[in-house]
Amino acid sequence: MGTCCVSVVFWQILVDGFAISSLYALGAMGFALIFGVSGVLNLSHGALMVAAVVAAWAAGNDLHAGPYTGAMIGVAVGFATTLLTYFIIVSPLQRTRKIREDEKEIFILTATLLWGIMIQELIGYLYTNNAKTVAPIVEGVMSIVGVRTPKNELFTAVVCWLVIGGLWLLVNRTRAGKAVLAASMNPRGVTLLGIELSQIYIAVWAIYGLLVGVAGVLLGMFLGVSSYSVGPLTASAFSIVVLGGLGSVSGALIAAYVVGYLETITAYLISPAYRTIPALLLLIVVMYIRPRGLLGRR
Amino acid sequence: MAETAPLEVSGLTKRFGGLVAVKDMALSVHGGQILGLIGPNGSGKSTVMKLIMGIERPDAGSVRIGGVEVAGWPSHRIARLGAGMVFQHSRPLHRQTVLENIKLALLPDKLTRLFADPAIDQHARTIAERVGLSGVLDRRPATLPFADLRKIEIAKAIARNPKVVLIDEPFAGLTSRETAAFSDLICELRDAGHAILLVDHNVKSVARLVDRVIAMYVGERIAEGTADEVMRDETVRRVYLGGSIETAARPESSFRDAATPFLEVEDVSVFYGKAQALESVSIHLHAGEFVSVVGLNGAGKTTLFNTISGLLPYSGEIRREGVPLRGNTAAAIARNGIVQSPEGRELFVDMTVRENLDLGGQHLPSAESAAQIGGLFELFPILRERQSQAAGTLSGGEQQMLTIARALMMKPKLLMLDEPTLGLAPVVLEQISRALERLRETKQITLLLAEQNVTFALPHADRVYVLEHARIVWEGEPARFAAEMGTGYL
Amino acid sequence: MRFSSNTRILLIAMTVVVLASFLPLGVSGYILGLLTVAFYFGVFAMAWDLLFGFAGEVNFGPTFLIGTGAYTAGILDNLYQPPIWLCVAAGTFAAVAGGVVLALPALRVRGPYFGLTTLVAVLMLQNYVVVDASLTGGEIGLTVPDVITISDTKNYEIALWFMAISAAILFSLSRSPVGLILQASGQDAVQAGALGFNVTKHKLTAFIISAFFSGFAGALLVFYLGSASVGTFVDITVGVQIIIAAVLGGRRTILGAVLGAVFIIAMSEALRPIGDLANFVVFAMALVVVLIFPGGFFGLLTRSREGG
Repeated sequence: MGTCCVSVVFWQILVDGFAISSLYALGAMGFALIFGVSGVLNLSHGALMVAAVVAAWAAGNDLHAGPYTGAMIGVAVGFATTLLTYFIIVSPLQRTRKIREDEKEIFILTATLLWGIMIQELIGYLYTNNAKTVAPIVEGVMSIVGVRTPKNELFTAVVCWLVIGGLWLLVNRTRAGKAVLAASMNPRGVTLLGIELSQIYIAVWAIYGLLVGVAGVLLGMFLGVSSYSVGPLTASAFSIVVLGGLGSVSGALIAAYVVGYLETITAYLISPAYRTIPALLLLIVVMYIRPRGLLGRR
Repeated sequence: MAETAPLEVSGLTKRFGGLVAVKDMALSVHGGQILGLIGPNGSGKSTVMKLIMGIERPDAGSVRIGGVEVAGWPSHRIARLGAGMVFQHSRPLHRQTVLENIKLALLPDKLTRLFADPAIDQHARTIAERVGLSGVLDRRPATLPFADLRKIEIAKAIARNPKVVLIDEPFAGLTSRETAAFSDLICELRDAGHAILLVDHNVKSVARLVDRVIAMYVGERIAEGTADEVMRDETVRRVYLGGSIETAARPESSFRDAATPFLEVEDVSVFYGKAQALESVSIHLHAGEFVSVVGLNGAGKTTLFNTISGLLPYSGEIRREGVPLRGNTAAAIARNGIVQSPEGRELFVDMTVRENLDLGGQHLPSAESAAQIGGLFELFPILRERQSQAAGTLSGGEQQMLTIARALMMKPKLLMLDEPTLGLAPVVLEQISRALERLRETKQITLLLAEQNVTFALPHADRVYVLEHARIVWEGEPARFAAEMGTGYL
Repeated sequence: MRFSSNTRILLIAMTVVVLASFLPLGVSGYILGLLTVAFYFGVFAMAWDLLFGFAGEVNFGPTFLIGTGAYTAGILDNLYQPPIWLCVAAGTFAAVAGGVVLALPALRVRGPYFGLTTLVAVLMLQNYVVVDASLTGGEIGLTVPDVITISDTKNYEIALWFMAISAAILFSLSRSPVGLILQASGQDAVQAGALGFNVTKHKLTAFIISAFFSGFAGALLVFYLGSASVGTFVDITVGVQIIIAAVLGGRRTILGAVLGAVFIIAMSEALRPIGDLANFVVFAMALVVVLIFPGGFFGLLTRSREGG
């Protein structure tokens, strides 16, 4: 347990919680973006993140790449797999005529779920189900307000916020980004203004791929994953996005912090084994009282 | 004792958030009578029907069916008491035959029945015969024409011989021949003693059927009487047609591209599923011309625009300067200069006025885009004032101006305006009217206006088309329109 | 007429079942064991199809009901060793109760929220099982002292006839007037209400029936395997396999779900030589079927076209 000073625990929770919340935020914002713009609940989300991590790990393990290169490879793999998901699973299903329109949602859900499990099984087969961590880019420990914190955690938080910041800039300051934002509000409006929706979809999935790749690799450096993490990662992203309001990217950001801190507080003050429970309970309460979520629109 | 009418409604009120959809509505329908409830979109007529059927709960008021107060009851109880509703959109069970679909309506609401009562089968056949479906009982809905699907809906609604029958937009999607057959069917139902309430946009289409008509506007009744009386009622005409009409048309011969008009729509037909939304529609526009397409809600104006914009599949040809548009994506058609200011406005509500306009200018270099915006602020000064406000916070009129401005950002060669006056105050109409006048004078732009409000549509137009029930029924100059179509329009 | 095609299907199915009951005469105990599990799995899938295909509710957590039934039966046996039939009955009852508890919030919400509720239910059950390890055996699992029988043949016959009877009941239900009402409720609840049907009552009933069969089959399966664990009864992966079995077999056909279940179990076994990749291949095949033949096996067999 170490020192029992309350303020130490408080700062530990604050810092730890911040790092993990930032990670959740990155993944969840991507998930919310995809749902908000193309209406797809991507149940292979967790698998995409794990794929990124394992690629980074494999780069370090098999190719003996340095941590930086390994991370880049991981992000690239996450990105590529995400785009693959769009092109071979989601897009064909959205366009097909063999399925009635009102049934397409179920089919896309099932197909992405299947795809995710396929990736999970493949990873388990190629690299075993054991937990893997990725060599952190930043090592060592530093002292914040008298609390010893791995520098890696800070690195995680910083990178997450850089990416979130970049996303914000993209969406609010560039023409292309604004088009994406507009598409999430009103796809028909965007078409009437001469912007091809199909291009927007590709752009959105590409952004999502980047978010997922970075979040995955950072997760690998921070906590480590195994092929068993796929389900819980998807479930947590789904829960966060519902809490924040389906389709609201800013809602997902806030909800991620709520969930991240709830988990951290539970892990520290009650027991790490119970960490996922309060968030689940909160989700149930929210769904009962305000199914729209915090900032939901749909 | 005075006989109570099968359907009696009084003081019926419904609010959705801050919006009053229905206010203090009262009506009664006797057995063997057909009452028509007429109104434009947003008048509350469909809501009244849903309130009667229990699909929505009224905030105040009374609904009595056969003397029993049913306001606030769930719909299945009301249905069992003696009401049936024919919905506008047919949703039969696709995996079951027509006979089975009708049998469904005859089933008791019990969990324990594992085998159907054989009497139900016979009963279902009788009903099918009554509506004219005997020949197709063993077929699946997917193989049937649209009119038969509508007949299935009627069969289901009357299956248990309800006292009250509610019919939502009975003729939507039907051809003229089918409409006549349907009218006869509904008359037979009336003669058999049912109390029938019809809801529709168009007095004329139900005029032959109904015994009485109630006209609604923004949730309230504005007129009641026979079909003729309501069509001539001052308030009703003002609501639908606006006031007196002045025209300023340029003759068609003054446009230079007579041989190949700028836009040609030739024999275009559009279906929504099985329902016909446009039937062999042909119109043409010359470059620089201002053409109005006039018609009531549900006539097909928005469908026409969406078809030209490339959003809907169609049969027939649409040509721009002689070149067919088919095969281009909707976005490409817009980029190339055929731009819509849609009925639903489709604004990006959480973005500012300026951002909405910027998006319209996406395809222009930023300097040019900024200059365009400047010009549009001249045309619509109020937008300059509001440029940092979120589009969703603007008033209706301001939103409409923003929609038009945003469309103009695309530097269109053809601007299609869909019902720009819907729900706006006369002052705002003036402003938009003047803006359109300036556009017409200063720019080489072709304008296609779709409107229900004839007073607004006619003064600027060079030519007018009348769209009624998916068909073009009249074409000519605005001056002739007032003379020929005036009374018959409603 | 409608009835004759239904009776035809039933007759064919019955013939297949009777033939299958002779299988133990010529087939190894290993394959019998496999089929036994497949049959129970088939009941899971049929119960899921009733809820989804008819009531129109996508249940991402069928394992919530199954796990509740299985664990209740197993824990009861561990604690008090009552007769097996009592444990199974208790398990079934617990699953039904769980179904009602799940239905209440789930029926108030629509679309993705409903699926999420079911998902959350599974996660909560999983968490609970892991946390209350002293009672449930935690992540390692629970072993029960009793099994129904050791004989492969007897287990096989029990599973076969249980599956057959469940199938007969569920199939008849699906083609009965009640099934028709359920379909209408699932497709357009507003219209169903306007036709005089209490939609909530019918969907709740569908939930209860689905829970009944899921719990029953789950409890029986515990006493076949002699053990229960999160990985076999609760995990989301199992739930996914059930959904795949039902979708592969053909939505809204009930009987197709059995075909799907047998396919999945058989394929997983047949591919065992390639090790852990087996699961991957099975899922890949399922994905291909979903993408290319949305009608599933049953759809291919009866060559019925997907409606409108």
